[in-house]
Amino acid sequence: MKPSPFEYHDPTSVNEALELLRRYGPEAKILAGGQSLIALLNFRLSAPAALIDLNRVAELSYLKHENGTLRFGSMLRQRAIEFSPLVLQRLPLLAEATRLVGHLPTRTRGTIGGSLAHADPAAEYPTVITALDGELVIRGSLGERVVRAHDFFQGVMSTALGPDEILVEVRLAEAPPDSGCAFEEFSRRHGDFAIAGVAAMVVVDGARCRMARLAAAGVGPIPMRLRAAEEILEREGLSERAINDAAASAAEIVEPAGDLHASADFRRHLTRVLTRRALARAADRARGK
Amino acid sequence: MTDSKRPSLDSERAKLVGARIKRVEDPRLLTGRGSFTDDYRPPGLLHVAFLRSQHAHARIVQIDTAQARAVAGVVAVVTGEQLARSARPMRAVSTTPGYRVTDWPALAVAKVRYVGEAVAAVVAQSRYVAEDAAELIAIDYEPLEPVFNVEEAAAPESPLVHEAAESNVLLSREFSHGSATPGLSHEDHHLSRSTAPDAAETLTLRDRFRFRRHAAICIEPRSYIAEFNPAEDSLTLHSTTQCPGVVRMALAELLGMAEHRVRVISIDVGGGFGAKSSVYPEEVCVCALARMLGRPVKWTGDRREDLMATSQAWDEVIDAELTVRRDGAIVELKAEVLADVGAYSIYPWTAGIEPVQTVSFLPGPYHVPNYWARARAVATCKAPTGPYRGVGRPISTFVREGLIERAARRLGIDPIEIRLRNYIGNDEFPYKAPTGIVWDLADFAGSLLKVRDLLDYATWPEHQAQARQQGRLIGIGFASFVELTGIGSATSAAPGMPLPAGTEAATVRIDPSGTVTAIFGVAAHGQGLETTLGQIVAEELGVALEDVRVLWGDTDVAPYGTGSYASRGAVMGGGAAIMASRALGEKVQRIATHLLEMESAVSIVTEPRPAIGDRAQPRVSLKEIAKAAYAGLKRLPKGMEPGLQATCFYDPYYGTASYATHGAVVEVDPDTFGITVLRYVVADDCGRMINPLIVDGQVCGGVAQGLGGALLEEVVYDPSGQLITGSLMDYLVPTATDVPRIEVSHLDIPSPTSLGGFRGVGESGTIGAPAAVANAINDALSPLGIELAELPITPLRIFEHLAVRGRNLGTQTKPSSE
Amino acid sequence: MAEHRKIQLKINGELREGWAEPRRLLVDFIRDDLGLTGTHAGCEHGICGACTVLFNGEAVRSCLMLAVQANGAELLTVEGLAHEGKLHPLQQAFWEHHALQCGFCTPGMLIVALDLLRTTPSPNEEEIRHALSAVLCRCTGYQSIVEAVDAAASRLRPSR
Repeated sequence: MKPSPFEYHDPTSVNEALELLRRYGPEAKILAGGQSLIALLNFRLSAPAALIDLNRVAELSYLKHENGTLRFGSMLRQRAIEFSPLVLQRLPLLAEATRLVGHLPTRTRGTIGGSLAHADPAAEYPTVITALDGELVIRGSLGERVVRAHDFFQGVMSTALGPDEILVEVRLAEAPPDSGCAFEEFSRRHGDFAIAGVAAMVVVDGARCRMARLAAAGVGPIPMRLRAAEEILEREGLSERAINDAAASAAEIVEPAGDLHASADFRRHLTRVLTRRALARAADRARGK
Repeated sequence: MTDSKRPSLDSERAKLVGARIKRVEDPRLLTGRGSFTDDYRPPGLLHVAFLRSQHAHARIVQIDTAQARAVAGVVAVVTGEQLARSARPMRAVSTTPGYRVTDWPALAVAKVRYVGEAVAAVVAQSRYVAEDAAELIAIDYEPLEPVFNVEEAAAPESPLVHEAAESNVLLSREFSHGSATPGLSHEDHHLSRSTAPDAAETLTLRDRFRFRRHAAICIEPRSYIAEFNPAEDSLTLHSTTQCPGVVRMALAELLGMAEHRVRVISIDVGGGFGAKSSVYPEEVCVCALARMLGRPVKWTGDRREDLMATSQAWDEVIDAELTVRRDGAIVELKAEVLADVGAYSIYPWTAGIEPVQTVSFLPGPYHVPNYWARARAVATCKAPTGPYRGVGRPISTFVREGLIERAARRLGIDPIEIRLRNYIGNDEFPYKAPTGIVWDLADFAGSLLKVRDLLDYATWPEHQAQARQQGRLIGIGFASFVELTGIGSATSAAPGMPLPAGTEAATVRIDPSGTVTAIFGVAAHGQGLETTLGQIVAEELGVALEDVRVLWGDTDVAPYGTGSYASRGAVMGGGAAIMASRALGEKVQRIATHLLEMESAVSIVTEPRPAIGDRAQPRVSLKEIAKAAYAGLKRLPKGMEPGLQATCFYDPYYGTASYATHGAVVEVDPDTFGITVLRYVVADDCGRMINPLIVDGQVCGGVAQGLGGALLEEVVYDPSGQLITGSLMDYLVPTATDVPRIEVSHLDIPSPTSLGGFRGVGESGTIGAPAAVANAINDALSPLGIELAELPITPLRIFEHLAVRGRNLGTQTKPSSE
Repeated sequence: MAEHRKIQLKINGELREGWAEPRRLLVDFIRDDLGLTGTHAGCEHGICGACTVLFNGEAVRSCLMLAVQANGAELLTVEGLAHEGKLHPLQQAFWEHHALQCGFCTPGMLIVALDLLRTTPSPNEEEIRHALSAVLCRCTGYQSIVEAVDAAASRLRPSR
């Protein structure tokens, strides 16, 4: 299983990378962490004419904390995110989800931008970014634009990125005070892609739920934002009954498909179970503060 | 010489057999200096990539290789027709009546029979270039109607996988004992899964059991490097095979070469588990190419090819009936087994190897007064199946132990109690089983009771009741089995297979400097034979383990042997080691005695070890003895042949019983149906253990594979015969988070049959684990009123069973799953 | 057409160089071009872990990297674990606990274990199993490997 031949470029700046993209157009593929792409190349399921390797573009690897927002350079490694005290403290949902992404060696190379651009609807990062309403900064030949998560993911493995554009930054608001979060996932084995997963964040205000954010992985063509379920919680609070209602609603919103590992019905069933569990844990954590 | 003066081997020598000692092969493996086949780099090496069929069943109309041949770096592109001039097709033969012989060419000829079958071979400077060129080969196919369902394939009107065979049923074998009538009582197994007790107070449990396709997934893919020397007309093959002797014989025949001009080398092998015990078309092809091109040629399979084309296993449908009395005593056991053996009859074991074992071992460790079973090996358009750890025994254990525990549940008898009532008693050995196998000696009840105690079974009912009150689904399951290991010449290794496989040999040699070399025909693929066989030789000769060098895996060096499979390495290699070492040890003693008597001719040497003689008296070292042995008649007892080398062949003749009971405690998540194995215990008897560290490792490794088969692993084809589980993301091998701690205990009853008292243990883990886990899961799910008889048991399958049960309250039909 | 690029790197403390097509996988470069066959290729799609090496001190799957990406990097493979003929504590522990049978996954297990112990010097059993799940072993059933890593962790932890 060896890749087909390709032309190879390892630019050292974003501008250089963009210039290459302009030159090759859809004939080129961007190589970020390579944990998905190189496997595809080895299987010859992908055979681009050129690879543009971003691993030497140092300017894309950073983590900044400004005005309540965490700004991630798109080439920041998942491993760095996993071990970042800042992320653990300010974005615990992302920290928790990161530990579920493959295995440590995968995370050594895998990047936040690569995972989002790959847009596998069963992957953890796209789901977290969707739940938290993240912003994705895209740069192309016409300049820079900011796209919200729900506009970014457009279909299975399909995003708003144009053929001459690069994802350069991901912005996430830090978790509010009095919030709790949880990522619940069901997979056949530890480290596998989620058959179904739910990212949850709730903000408590006494007995009320001031804000709820929910997104589900693996149960639709894109990470599914569960707005109707969120509204139930924001209306009714975080009682066991409200959580159960929200979970039932979540199961109705999602559009799962069946495959080798699970049927659509089973995924729908799991959505309900995992939503309930994620909300219960998130609520406990919020109250624990 | 009086006894008191008779010199003895140093009484301080360590007892090595039975000792938990570190393996001698580990330092090189731990430092990355193993000799795996793909590590071998002869100069001028060329690389092969195969183009494989994407059709499950099609006639090959035309192959155009022109574009491929034109790629820079390509040396040759070869098709089946060209190769057929250089190599005969493999033809597994059997003396079983009615067996249908089929041919398996090294590259497809005329038609393809499964997705993944190799159709053309590209030979190039690198594997990268070879794959580039393979993409440029154009093949015209005429699709033929394929057949994938084993019942459809067995029917007379089915499309034929091999026209010449005139049927897809390649082999059919029946066993009958007592007054059992052939055939199952009910045509439609779905209708009633148990009868009400009849006038004679018996209960019949019946069901359709399904074991799904399994792949070995050795972490090292198959790899073959062939070199042909035209000056000597000789072939050398480095191979990942478990059976160098078998491959050598096969290559000689298939390539039309003299056997003594074929050399097969297999030193370090990254796992075999039976999947590397067969001769493969790629193996033959690589040898033929090396001869054709006059250059060394290598093929290393990638994982995609491994999943498509390495032998698979365990794809069987078993309709079975167990009839028991009210007190749980077995009256009758019947089974109809359909095995989906894929497109070709595995060579040399034949397509019958697994299904015949399923029915020949089905009665297990119990009294079964009436028995009938039929096994049929049916060809379909899928990858060929072959021997895989446990072969038919994991399946027969799953069926029988599943039925026994169902009977227990229906009758309200404790699952331990029902087994104790049925076991062959300790005073009944040797015992002839209904299928003719003779069990030499066992303590079945002992193994079960040990498991019972390890699991603290007395507290279980209360523990389970409490858990159920909390809404938890936990269950306990057991599995007892017995198998024949170390099989000698009395039984064929595979049904009716004429390959001489009942013996193994050892050559033990002491060099003039006193170092010891022991050479074997068995080959190692992870089970530590270099250490265990060394332990035996060292102990017999009274030398240190480090003073013995064990060689294997090179047919030019080793005495004839077939290799390592069927849990025979320790028994047969060990038996041969004992024979040869003992013969040599006796000669050493006689020479030592002689030298000590000739005081004037001997220099007293005070080497610490090894030395022969009394501590207080003159001693002579092994080195002295060896020097004398090779010096010739002058220094030897009258009439003794010079030299210190012995080659012995060991044939245990019958084989010995290996057996165990496994016990599992599982929890099923009531919402996600995720399955966790909470505890796993094994009480086995592998006779006299050579190295308990290695035995435990074999059992744990086998259990892990069995758990994989029970919970995770399944080869899946889509309706057009394409392999859906084409990568390790979809074919799920257990990881460190999927396998619990496995507690192993041993009964240690030496085999009365095998020299050394050893019993085989390599396959024990996979035989018991699927059954024990399935029984535990069914126990856990019993409050929900469902019972699963299909492996692997997955959360999805549990969910679907419950969904059907919810829709069809009152009946117990299962969803059709094909 | 296939341009070859020069690759200079440090591997097991030694400066090495070679030439490779961009598409050449790092695992093949290590095995074939550098002659270090201790690292094994088991799947070429990043699941089995037998190809794991340390890349600038962190475990990576070398079947999912291109050789050209290693230019200027520092690599450690299984051959670099022992020091002056003395086994690394992990290797010693694997030996003592029978944590290998066929030995094919072992290089990957050792490197993954090394990375684990450097990032988490006192891992509990769950953490060890999570980390080891990055490498597939078909022979051992894992518990002897878990025990070996645990034993090595004790030996490697700085004593008080």
